Amino acid sequence: MNYQAPVKTTLLEVRDLRTEFHTASGTVTAVDGVSFAIERGERVAVVGESGSGKSAMAMSILRLLTHPGKVAGGEVLLDGRDITKLSEGQLNAIRGRLVGTVFQDPMSSLDPVMRISKQMIEPIMRNLRLNREQARAEAIKWLGKVGIPEPERRIEAYPFEMSGGMRQRVMIAMALSCRPQLVIADEPTTALDVTIQAQIVEVLKNLTAEAGAAMMFITHDLGLVARFAHKVAVMYAGRIVEFGRVEDIFANPSHPYTQSLLGTIPSTSMLKSDRLPQIPGLPPDMRYPIVGCAFKERCAAAHDRCLREAPRLTDRGIDHRAACWSQHGLEHGATLKVERPERTNKPFEPDGSVVVELNALWKQFETSRKMVVKAVNGVNLRVHKGETLGIVGESGCGKSTVARLLLGLEKPTSGDIFISGRAQMVFQDPASSFNPKMTIGDIVAEPLVVRAQGNKAERLEAVRRLISQVGLDPAFAERYPHQLSGGQRQRVAVARALALNPSVVVADEPTSALDVSVRAQIINLLVDLKQELGISFVFISHDLLTVRYISDRIAVMYLGEVVEYGAAEEVFADPRHPYTKALIDAVPVPDPAIESRRTTTPLQGELPSPLNLPKGCAFASRCPMATDRCRAEKPSLPNHDLSRQVACHYAH
Amino acid sequence: MAEYTAKKLAQMLVTVLGVVTLVFFTLRLIPGDAASAMAGDTLSGEALQVLREQMGLDEPLLTQYLGFLRNLAVVDLGETITTRIPIAELLLRALPITLSIALATIVVSVALSIPLGTLAAYMAHKGRNWLDNGLTGAAMIIDLMPSFWTALVLLLVFSLGLGWFPASGQLNWSDPWALVLRLALPVIVLSLSQVATLARITRTAVLEVLNEDYVRTARSLGWSELRVLFRHALKNAALPIATVVGLSFGNLLGGTVIVEFIFTIPGVGNLLIAGINSRDYQLVQTLIVLYALLFVVINFATDLIYKTLDPRVQF
Amino acid sequence: MADITLTATPVPKAGLLAAIAAVFRHRALSSAKVRLALLILVPILALTILAPVLPIQKPLETNLRAMMQFPSIEHVFGTDKMGRDIFSRTLAGVQVSLLVGFSVAAIALVLGMLLGTLAGFYGGLIDRAIMTVVDIFLAFPSLLLAIGLVSVMGTGIVPVILAISLADVPRFIRLQRSQVLSLRSRAFIDAARTVDASQYWLMTRHIVPNTIAAMLVAASIAAANAILVEASLSFLGLGIMPPQPSLGNIVRDGQTYLEQAWWISTLPGVVILLIAVGLHFLSDGVRELLDPRSR
Repeated sequence: MNYQAPVKTTLLEVRDLRTEFHTASGTVTAVDGVSFAIERGERVAVVGESGSGKSAMAMSILRLLTHPGKVAGGEVLLDGRDITKLSEGQLNAIRGRLVGTVFQDPMSSLDPVMRISKQMIEPIMRNLRLNREQARAEAIKWLGKVGIPEPERRIEAYPFEMSGGMRQRVMIAMALSCRPQLVIADEPTTALDVTIQAQIVEVLKNLTAEAGAAMMFITHDLGLVARFAHKVAVMYAGRIVEFGRVEDIFANPSHPYTQSLLGTIPSTSMLKSDRLPQIPGLPPDMRYPIVGCAFKERCAAAHDRCLREAPRLTDRGIDHRAACWSQHGLEHGATLKVERPERTNKPFEPDGSVVVELNALWKQFETSRKMVVKAVNGVNLRVHKGETLGIVGESGCGKSTVARLLLGLEKPTSGDIFISGRAQMVFQDPASSFNPKMTIGDIVAEPLVVRAQGNKAERLEAVRRLISQVGLDPAFAERYPHQLSGGQRQRVAVARALALNPSVVVADEPTSALDVSVRAQIINLLVDLKQELGISFVFISHDLLTVRYISDRIAVMYLGEVVEYGAAEEVFADPRHPYTKALIDAVPVPDPAIESRRTTTPLQGELPSPLNLPKGCAFASRCPMATDRCRAEKPSLPNHDLSRQVACHYAH
Repeated sequence: MAEYTAKKLAQMLVTVLGVVTLVFFTLRLIPGDAASAMAGDTLSGEALQVLREQMGLDEPLLTQYLGFLRNLAVVDLGETITTRIPIAELLLRALPITLSIALATIVVSVALSIPLGTLAAYMAHKGRNWLDNGLTGAAMIIDLMPSFWTALVLLLVFSLGLGWFPASGQLNWSDPWALVLRLALPVIVLSLSQVATLARITRTAVLEVLNEDYVRTARSLGWSELRVLFRHALKNAALPIATVVGLSFGNLLGGTVIVEFIFTIPGVGNLLIAGINSRDYQLVQTLIVLYALLFVVINFATDLIYKTLDPRVQF
Repeated sequence: MADITLTATPVPKAGLLAAIAAVFRHRALSSAKVRLALLILVPILALTILAPVLPIQKPLETNLRAMMQFPSIEHVFGTDKMGRDIFSRTLAGVQVSLLVGFSVAAIALVLGMLLGTLAGFYGGLIDRAIMTVVDIFLAFPSLLLAIGLVSVMGTGIVPVILAISLADVPRFIRLQRSQVLSLRSRAFIDAARTVDASQYWLMTRHIVPNTIAAMLVAASIAAANAILVEASLSFLGLGIMPPQPSLGNIVRDGQTYLEQAWWISTLPGVVILLIAVGLHFLSDGVRELLDPRSR
């Protein structure tokens, strides 16, 4: 990345920041002595899993934490002034004016009963000392810059009249409209679809650069970091464990956590037969004091000193610091590799027989206002024995409805579903997919009890076998769901799905609620089970890198239709439908070298309403190559016996 | 908007019709019939028959029911059976008194509870729990005090002890100050529990809004705490509060019966008790329908106001 | 087969009784609100149960040589104009109050759960029929509905219990229905449906067990409310009729002598308040304990 640092003057300097949450069950030190600096005009990404303290740290800088959170020590120097010593009134002169903020959830971050105009104009009037007319013009100008069509009209809208992506654009316009020198963006794209995410990231990047503002970008997505940041701070358990320029962090990570984290992401060059490297265990419970290095339990390179003494950040190169006792972290590559467990029987070989067949499947829902939502429009799909079919697409494309139809949870409006054997499901949200009043043992046994399989002793034995099959101690059978972590719960969900020896397991976003470091564990588990038991999987996700890694074949869905289908490798290597191309383009790759070479033009516009579908190609309204023919005539998928299908008039 | 109002209005009419039907048939469930229940042991067979005819009880049930509906529809409320006074006339005198008490209570309690509830919520939000706990605890205890007991205690202290307020006597509409003094204690008694209820609801609603993301957005734009509290928190919390004010009106109507009884105020509540005591079912059924009607109409109005205030609701 | 096996530290095994005992030792009593509630309710309950053997005058016994006496050691709450012991009458009244409170709570709980579950689970015509009736009942302010019903059903303990229950049941149906509706869309119901679990199984294993906690909390508030309503009815002369003592009619008796003997009306009122406060603390405490977020 050829980044020319502007004149080096420090804008923000954080020294030994400590933030505590005083809760009933003890004091949590969410931020434990964090120090770093941001130069003017520089984009710094703060990366970490949930609970790493990254958001608490960002909120501490502007003292936006609410009770029971409290800044317990340290200094925050903005332009040389220590913010922590300012009064509330002095601080209010900085918030909005010198520092703009963009929050995670655009759906809830704007006042629902206030027009956009009111929420935007008044801060501009106050901060830039403009009159109402001038401020209004300024607000409209910024709404236009962030890409809101017809800003003169849309400024009078209420937030609920806009989509999530549009609201996030409004948030960005609000944050930038008072010409701040620093923009703090706290996971600004996490709640958005990948194509919208790409648009928002472009807007944020371009506009802050244009305004010369610095940015602190909090995220858990290493791909975004590569696309976006000049520098990276990696946080773990309330501390920065590594800090440096983005090229150095990705090319020469020196903290074992950074190294492992980068390894757990399926990369485009990775071979299918490789197992995903995974980080064992869970992050530490922050309610208890941590002795020694916080990462020691999960670190292959941990030694005696790590158990006793917490390492401090030390220099590893120019502008590159890491907090690890060993100079290079994990020994290169070797310890990261996770060996496949000993196999007792031969891996399953697919024989080409069909397990699931969906023929001309349609599903329409009626809304309370008597309108018809066309969720699934003529889908034909097959799943072969022992293979994984990945279904990708933006939210609202009908992929979850296909899953529910397949499982018999919804009745199709027309079309047939053929399943040889039984279909079972692993749900997205591990929190709500279990009855909180039942023990894990009862949950896993439920399918057996309902189908009256075996006697009590046999079921008990089956439960123990299933629970250990997914990598949990059978003692978990006596626990309740709330006593388990997210990753453990998802393992239990898999065990339950396996109880009746299904021929196909449908997994709807099974890893999206999990932290990056736990995600790889679940993916490896699914891959192992597929090979061991010869089960077919339908894997539904918006995470394209994971889908590519886990799937044999891929179906890309758009507005209730399959627009492209084929072998996973082929679809990714040579996408033929313009929508597939755009989707793959939108996914940031966790490699700054690749990202800097990519010329991404994010897909424009948003998903049309499934209430009134266009007459021609569903994608025509957003397609860069759409012609009159596309708008008039609907392209259809060729005969579904073909191994590669594309629904586009112009696909080669 | 018009369509929504019409739909709600139709729903309300169905409810009212249900209410009227329920009241009518429940009263016909009395063992024996209303006439013998009224008469007790005082009337002989023949006189009882006369009473039955007067009350229309000799006619078929359906005819009685339709007659009752027709009379209600044309606001012909009939006469009391014992004293032969047109019920409409009684109501014309009693209703303004009860409504004045109710209205005064609503004004007083909204004016007090919203600031108190907001203060408690703000303190809780800032982690200053002692003040919040104090206010919430006091509100809970006041809310649970039986209103007839509170009324007697206040009567004992302020009327009988200190002599600040008259405990009984005519309502003098020509002397406003005397009227205020006369109605002060009833309104205070009713307001106490209303304030307690509404302050707790306000606290919960405001506290919830203060934890919303858009409040943090407002803070991040540099707005002061006061502005955040009034422009964002209270404005958003107003919607749920309005609904509860409407619903608590029902409790208030129940409360007026008790305070009118204790402070001997000739309102609808005393009329109801007199009706029950003299077993005048004509009067009782009319009053019960009236109370339900009032409650339903108030809720209908709050619902409409709520929907108009909230831009998210589309008609 | 999996590469790593996550181990669980063993949870001590225990029988059902031991588990219940453990809950009471650690969890329930760790809540300040539950402790406070028990501190208020247990002595009242004990005195009420022990009333017949306590060295006090019987509730209906008159003593014309000790009329309208100020509270003393002998007559803790004083005496009324017929020389009856107010404390003894109050305890007899508490008996009535508790009977009313618990009966109403039990009736509302059972009917509310039954009808609310049916309405929420099956929807359609059953739902519409039940909810239409519920809406009609909810159109009456609850105290006024109770007044209307006792005016028809007459005075005495059974009509009072029925009247208050009828006013409460619709609220319970509505609460149960909304709980069932929100549970019905949870993923664990879908999971059970994918193994073709019957509706009976879904209802008894997944839905009803998850509604009980909130219904119990509502029931303890309903008990407190029923006690207040019964007292109000009796005070208005529409509930429990003298000479049988009830907290409401004792206060009513004393109203006439407020100036000469304030204790007749005020002290029993304090007891009503204490019981209501105790029950509310109990429900608050139970709610906190049952809330998984507070664990």
